[in-house]
Amino acid sequence: MEKMTLSSKTREAQSPTEQWMRYLGFPGGILLFLLIMYLPAGAGLSAGAQAGAASFALALVWWVTEPFPTYVTSLVLMFLLLVTRTSNAKAIMDVLGMEVIWLNLLAFILASMLVKTRLAKRMALWLVVRFGHKASWALLAFLVLQLVLAPLIPATAARCVMTLPLMIVVATIYGSTEATPNNFGKNMMLLNLACISVLSSITMTGSSANLIAVGLIQNMGGQRVYYMDWMRVGAPVAILTMVLMWILGQKLLFRMKPEEQVPQVEGGLELVKKQFEAMGPLGFQEKKAIAIFGLVLFLWMTDIFHMRWFGVEISAPFAALLGAVIVLFPRWGILSWAEADIPWHLLIFSAGAYAGGLALDDTGAAEWGVRMLFGGMNLKGVPFGFTFTVVISVMMYSHLLTTSKTVRTLIMLPIIITLAKALGWSPISLALPAALCIDWVVGLPISGKPNVIMFSTNQFSVGDNFKYGMLTCTIGVAILVISGATWFHWLGITPSFWAVAP
Amino acid sequence: MKMLRLLTFILLASVLGMATDVQTYTIRLQAESDETGKAVGVLALANCTPGVLVLPLGFAAVEDLRLEEPAVGVRLESVARNGMTQMKLTLPADISAKTNLKFSFRLKQVFQVTKLKPGEKSTLPASSRSFKHAFVNTQEGVIGNYRVELIFPNGLMAQAIREQLPKPAKNEVGPRVLLTKLEGRQAAILQLSKLQQGDDTSMVVELVPIRRSFGWLIAGLVLAGLYLFRFRDLVTKPKS
Repeated sequence: MEKMTLSSKTREAQSPTEQWMRYLGFPGGILLFLLIMYLPAGAGLSAGAQAGAASFALALVWWVTEPFPTYVTSLVLMFLLLVTRTSNAKAIMDVLGMEVIWLNLLAFILASMLVKTRLAKRMALWLVVRFGHKASWALLAFLVLQLVLAPLIPATAARCVMTLPLMIVVATIYGSTEATPNNFGKNMMLLNLACISVLSSITMTGSSANLIAVGLIQNMGGQRVYYMDWMRVGAPVAILTMVLMWILGQKLLFRMKPEEQVPQVEGGLELVKKQFEAMGPLGFQEKKAIAIFGLVLFLWMTDIFHMRWFGVEISAPFAALLGAVIVLFPRWGILSWAEADIPWHLLIFSAGAYAGGLALDDTGAAEWGVRMLFGGMNLKGVPFGFTFTVVISVMMYSHLLTTSKTVRTLIMLPIIITLAKALGWSPISLALPAALCIDWVVGLPISGKPNVIMFSTNQFSVGDNFKYGMLTCTIGVAILVISGATWFHWLGITPSFWAVAP
Repeated sequence: MKMLRLLTFILLASVLGMATDVQTYTIRLQAESDETGKAVGVLALANCTPGVLVLPLGFAAVEDLRLEEPAVGVRLESVARNGMTQMKLTLPADISAKTNLKFSFRLKQVFQVTKLKPGEKSTLPASSRSFKHAFVNTQEGVIGNYRVELIFPNGLMAQAIREQLPKPAKNEVGPRVLLTKLEGRQAAILQLSKLQQGDDTSMVVELVPIRRSFGWLIAGLVLAGLYLFRFRDLVTKPKS
């Protein structure tokens, strides 16, 4: 509980199926690579895009089956992108300087501060003492925490890093460590992973991609979406889905054994209480950590006012950078550089994943894939409900093809608005519900920044993430379709599901 | 002074008002394996006013520029300017307000030829070809829709679109350069609407042979086989 190290060790295969997956994953990835490389090229696809898709598919198979540690796969992917001439050396190397990588690095310095000062332990113990009589209530406490933070801090990676030390310590209390992960740990990490992304769709300011979607609906569709318009359709869908996932995660996907449902420290909850009381009042270093973290949090929450106040916008990584400077400051700070636990293997994994994702976007492979998905269907003359279901499903699951919400929004929303116009529907009837899916990037560890960070805890596998993410997305699609037929229709956003455009 | 300004304004307005509108300007260039190409273009003109209309072609070293379906009284000449070719169209006094003109030309060398100096590094593999097209609207009128279609030679496909300018605006659907199939071959289409005087657009496409090297196949299969053999202990029970 005193430490929060993110190990670079490969997770041990836990079952014979996983052992076989590891053994066959390596040749399987190569075969998929060769299959895509030697397929006859589609007319709309360049050779570079085809090679990029082949390389990404290979990496995806290796990330899922884990014949190598994930960061080694990322390095292989980066090399493949170069030798297949999908990307140039500069574009690949530049990924390590991306905002998300810097944010990860700096945020881990802040997280190390919370661990060293024992503030993370104190908050985790408080959470367990207050809500931890049952494991499911501890999980619910995190759902509520993410629900409160979502409208306050738009940066999902910031929210993730802020709450990660708490998750790790609480998971440890329930016996789930990176060496011996259990189903409580899986539920804890994956519920938080899904909450961080999905709850961003509650408000239109939840992510910059949401705002881009609003702009596209206004510019291309000619219809204005106001803050409350978004919230009254987005909030019920996101919150209901996460409550269902809180239940289904424990009851269906990762059932917890009775011993995993209570604190596993010797002495049980009583000892946790004693440990919490033994910590005594807040120490000076803890107060200093609260002040530093509070400053960073304040800057994250007030980013829309920065230009007015300071004449410059202090973005999320630079707010964290300021915090890191204070944390590492000689004498006045809290940590020395050697005490900062920076998971370089995670940064390399992220860099490879982003290089692959960017290559898919830059070469047009992602856009081609999406166009093929829509182009293969004739939606003229079919009831609105069918078109709505197709659009929502494609939008929801398309996050598996790209790692950037912004790029996906810029590709998908114009297509959906044009499709709505061509079919004779109001653009907002398809575009707004589709825009609600933008933030649901929960299918794979590479699908979003928080996923990358959470995966480094080694508490769940790529397969676990895929299972949890796909169930979340499927429930989301079902709730959106039901809402489209009822709630959205009553609000005047969608026509009747049986209506056929003239 | 005021009178002079007014006179200048009236003159400019009348010149602009009198300018022939170019509604669409389309060129389809079919490249052949020997790197030559034949292009056919169509100009849809509106508000035609008699006189001279000069339009850039966006290609250098153009040969055999001529009207395909001669319109009565219309003359077409090629004019070289800054290493690029321009079309000089002379429209007769009795030209109808709306006229379509079809023209054609040949290119000896469709792809860029880069001569390397001794010691200089090549930026393209030997089997690659690079096609570059840049167009600037130098005439005063607006071009409603500008479109260039490059049909690739048999046996070649796009490796990558290296340049496509300007970046699509927010209200534009799709990329500036679209890869598609025309006349049974892969083709790249550059398209831009409402080109004001001075607006420019360009594309650079790198082409490679369609057939991929078997090196990937051999290396992949060897690696997969080696792994299955050397890592078989992952799924075999340890000997007691």
